[in-house]
Amino acid sequence: MIKDNIVNDTSMENLSIHAKEILLEKNPFKNFKIENYRYAQLHKNIESQSNTVKSPLHEDLTKLTTNISNNTFANIDLKPTIDNWGFSNSDSFFRVSSLVHRTSISINLDNFKETSLFLNISNISKNITIQKKDPQLKTLVLLNYNCDDETPKSLIFDVAENANLEVVHYDVSNKKSFLYFEVKQSNYSNFNFVSFQSNNTHIRNEFFSSLAEKCNFELSGLNFNNFGVNDNYSFIQHVKPSSSSREVFKSIVNNGAITNFQGKIYVDSIAQKTDGYQMSRSLLLDNISKANNKPELEIYADDVKCSHGSTVSKIDQEQIFYFNSRGISKEVANLLLQKAFIIETLDTIQTKDIKDFSIKLLDNLLT
Amino acid sequence: MLNIKDLHVSIEGKKILNGLNLSINKGEVHALMGPNGSGKSTLSYFLSGKDGYEMERGSIDYNGKNLLDLEVDERANEGLFLAFQYPMEIPGVQTSFFLKTAINSKRKHQGLPEIDALEFAKLIKSQAQELDISPDMLRRDLNVNYSGGEKKKQEILQMSLLNPAMSILDETDSGLDIDALRIVSEGVNKLRNKDNSFLVITHYQRLLNYIKPDYVHIIADGKIVKSGDFSLALELEEKGYEEISKTA
Repeated sequence: MIKDNIVNDTSMENLSIHAKEILLEKNPFKNFKIENYRYAQLHKNIESQSNTVKSPLHEDLTKLTTNISNNTFANIDLKPTIDNWGFSNSDSFFRVSSLVHRTSISINLDNFKETSLFLNISNISKNITIQKKDPQLKTLVLLNYNCDDETPKSLIFDVAENANLEVVHYDVSNKKSFLYFEVKQSNYSNFNFVSFQSNNTHIRNEFFSSLAEKCNFELSGLNFNNFGVNDNYSFIQHVKPSSSSREVFKSIVNNGAITNFQGKIYVDSIAQKTDGYQMSRSLLLDNISKANNKPELEIYADDVKCSHGSTVSKIDQEQIFYFNSRGISKEVANLLLQKAFIIETLDTIQTKDIKDFSIKLLDNLLT
Repeated sequence: MLNIKDLHVSIEGKKILNGLNLSINKGEVHALMGPNGSGKSTLSYFLSGKDGYEMERGSIDYNGKNLLDLEVDERANEGLFLAFQYPMEIPGVQTSFFLKTAINSKRKHQGLPEIDALEFAKLIKSQAQELDISPDMLRRDLNVNYSGGEKKKQEILQMSLLNPAMSILDETDSGLDIDALRIVSEGVNKLRNKDNSFLVITHYQRLLNYIKPDYVHIIADGKIVKSGDFSLALELEEKGYEEISKTA
């Protein structure tokens, strides 16, 4: 369902003919959709769960979004769940979503003087195109939270030559959500994407990236403490030479949830000197949860460096014993090891305030 | 302090400890020596409460409490400390954070508030300096990419910060060069006082030249076959385990 809209609507002028063929004929989403459907069938009770699951964040995030509209962002006291967003500058955040009410929206980030921007996409059902042309780094925070609208949404990032952009995406406490991200990078651009997913009942995020020459793309995903099905799909295309991509996805799976990751790095025959890296790791906390990781490489060039890895593991009881032997309880040791496992995905965030907030949010949501 | 009576312990059906008796009083340092496979490490792990061991018979009294009633973390908070032979690597957990968490667990157990950040920084700095541990190491992930010597120093640092009543040192000297051995031994000696006790497990007499024990025990086939003072360690070095075990 999602796929049909996406592939047809996506502008593909940047892609080589070969890449287009792959996309249209081999359809990278196809297999995944079937698997996903099957898993969803296995968990029919997700529907009923979605009405009963109460997120500890619910009230705080509602408060947060209200406060943002009043433009008092920096001074909000969000105790106890979120102590404080703690951003140093009172007007360092801006609410873009108030501007967003047309059918098709295009936002040029260079029009804002602030370096950090906030966009609440929770109740926007339009397609949004975000443009970034200036080399100065800007961080865009996306919040997707508690939306009733289950229509798939798409966000397209148009990163111009030499531009630098960072996106931190919080996908928290959703009943159901389907998000499609597309990143088009021009030569010499840098893009860093961090996707923070927790407390969801059924979400699917698709990341679709296309890199021109000498670009840098980083994608980090973390998902933990979810209910139901959590899907991440990524398709990173190197269509020009000398670009690098680095992708790390980590998931902690409990509550009988299912997490699926499928990621492909595609290297076109002209994309020589590509440097691609992909890692997906899952930590299973119980015997009823599931993690499906599927790393893929599709390479048509002969002078490239591409690696991928995938692991599924449990918490190491020897490590727990070591903590215990120093007087630290099993519960605390468990939490610390979970945090230790997943925190790496937040390392790439360059804006310190947002990184600190993400760590705080992680602390609050780990159970 | 610690009173072990007729201890029989097996692991996966294989009997390791075979009627071991050992009594350690306040302020005493005991050395436990023995060949490979004699049950030294099993004893230390069993005392600290590790899973996978089965006790068939015996009793262990620790400060008037039945040690076996206590969970691993409770034992630690009650002052029992095991310096590991092979300390675990914990990627993603910063060393200083781990140390602070351990100190606060003990303080919580004692009904004390969490340690003040400044006080902790001062404490850790001075203790690390004494053990020749660089501040950089405290910022790194716990035991990750540490050398053998650094790992052992880290164990002694933890010991000095937690100030345990009963410390078990499981082959702390293995993998140490001579300088590190001296530093580690000095660290242990500084902690010695009339209120705490040590059980030093080792293969070699060399460590005991630095940490002078009050008693030396020789363990073979899961029980103590001979006890004596420091001269027993010297005799052992000269004659070897086999000979001593025979005469016992």
